[in-house]
Amino acid sequence: MEYVSPEGLRLDGRRPMEMRQLRAEIGTVAKANGSAVFEMGNTKVIAAVYGPREVQNRSQQINDQALVRCEYSMANFSTGDRMRKPKGDRRSTEISLVIRQTMEACILTHLMPRSQIDIFVQVLQADGGTRSACINAATLALADAGIPMRDIVTSCSAGYLNSTPLLDLNYIEDSAGGPDVTVGILPKLDKVTLLQMDAKLPVDIFENVMGLAIEGCKAIANYIREVRTVVCFLLSAKSSISFP
Amino acid sequence: MVGLSVGEKHFIQGGIAQDLRSDGRKRLTYRPIYVETGVIPQAHGSARVRLGATDVIASVKAELGKPSALQPDKGNIAIYVDCSPTAAPMFEVGRGGEELSTELSVALQRCLLGGKSGAGAGIDPTSLVVVEGKVCWDLYIDGLVISSDGNLLDALAAAIKAALSNTGIPKVDVAADATSDEQPEVNISDEEFLQFDTSGIPVIVTLTKVGRHYIVDATSEEESQMSSAVSISVNRKGHICGLMKRGGVGLDPSIILDMISVAKHVSEQLINKLDSEIAAAEASEEES
Repeated sequence: MEYVSPEGLRLDGRRPMEMRQLRAEIGTVAKANGSAVFEMGNTKVIAAVYGPREVQNRSQQINDQALVRCEYSMANFSTGDRMRKPKGDRRSTEISLVIRQTMEACILTHLMPRSQIDIFVQVLQADGGTRSACINAATLALADAGIPMRDIVTSCSAGYLNSTPLLDLNYIEDSAGGPDVTVGILPKLDKVTLLQMDAKLPVDIFENVMGLAIEGCKAIANYIREVRTVVCFLLSAKSSISFP
Repeated sequence: MVGLSVGEKHFIQGGIAQDLRSDGRKRLTYRPIYVETGVIPQAHGSARVRLGATDVIASVKAELGKPSALQPDKGNIAIYVDCSPTAAPMFEVGRGGEELSTELSVALQRCLLGGKSGAGAGIDPTSLVVVEGKVCWDLYIDGLVISSDGNLLDALAAAIKAALSNTGIPKVDVAADATSDEQPEVNISDEEFLQFDTSGIPVIVTLTKVGRHYIVDATSEEESQMSSAVSISVNRKGHICGLMKRGGVGLDPSIILDMISVAKHVSEQLINKLDSEIAAAEASEEES
């Protein structure tokens, strides 16, 4: 199948190095300490953060740092065909683990010993790149909860189809069987915290594809910073009205 | 769980006794209700309903299936509810979220789908049949709780009502063939959609008893103080379509009858409000 037309356009009309439309919103779950919605094209996820708070299960308490937990779940209606049993399968467990490890790397856990931070991500619409979208949503939610972090983490995927590196794969491109490189970076420190790839790629091409994914991450980081400054601005405007 | 001090509990109970609740509402006033339709593009119909800080999504998906041998003239409708852990950490896998999800699913099925025979259902199940005994639509209704601040059942019922009003089922052409034994060939149109008659779908009004009084649309703080709650589903004609009592404390039969008449009265306003919100949401969706 042809994933890139001779004119250089992909199935959904994007250029190979073009990302899908991003949209983010902060503070969508009223009861959570921090929450965010993150959309990449048709992929839409909600993240909610509870904590730092008392550790629920005493045996898990860590005396010199915070316990970070993460749970990933998909809504029944998130995929094209309706899913039957979405909870607790191996794929969700793996993604929960990936998100937890990535977020743990950027949270300053040593500042909150003997406490617990829960991150819950819920996929509302899945159209490829849920892993990346979840990490981006979790970053925003953690920032919204005011949890101290080294830097924000942003993530983006890239693939290689029809001898062309493609940024931000959607579901059709993802299921084409080509390699799928998911990268997570700390943009300010310029460090890679997450790197996953399936299928095989020659080393020199891998370098290109990974570079492309990192560029994508940086673009997302810029967008997230923009969202955060807008929100901070709104917050300061609000407080100046109510507390003159 | 909601952790409240003795003073807070007293304040909530006292407020309810004096008909002035913590958020300024009267006992029988709902929080403002917001409806948004078409939120899930890959579903046949979907809606998001917000009731204060309670936030739920309902989606409707239709798949072609086979009617059961016992009821060849009826399609199948199933309702599943999932409580996302984003709503509250206690909904996490293996920590009681499943129990609540099942309780809500069963309650909704009881209140919206009528009995086993399908009589009294909000949607006529015979309207889902394509070829009698052979092909019918299976309707899967999924509810998802995103944020929870009490009164999930009423919010979910409202979301399902809105999602069904938003649903378009593709028109199906059956290839005319004479052999009656085989499964007939069907052709699903992707341009023409059929809408349901949603006027018969009931709303659910939950009356929560706190102290000697009962209130509608309780927040989670108020729910933590309840002795018992009665959920009553009422349709536009004022008929009772389903009823369920929760909570451990017993109720006097005369109070239950009183509650039913109050629920009937409240439901009239709720249905009117909900219908106008759904119409507004549909209009704004068409514009955008």
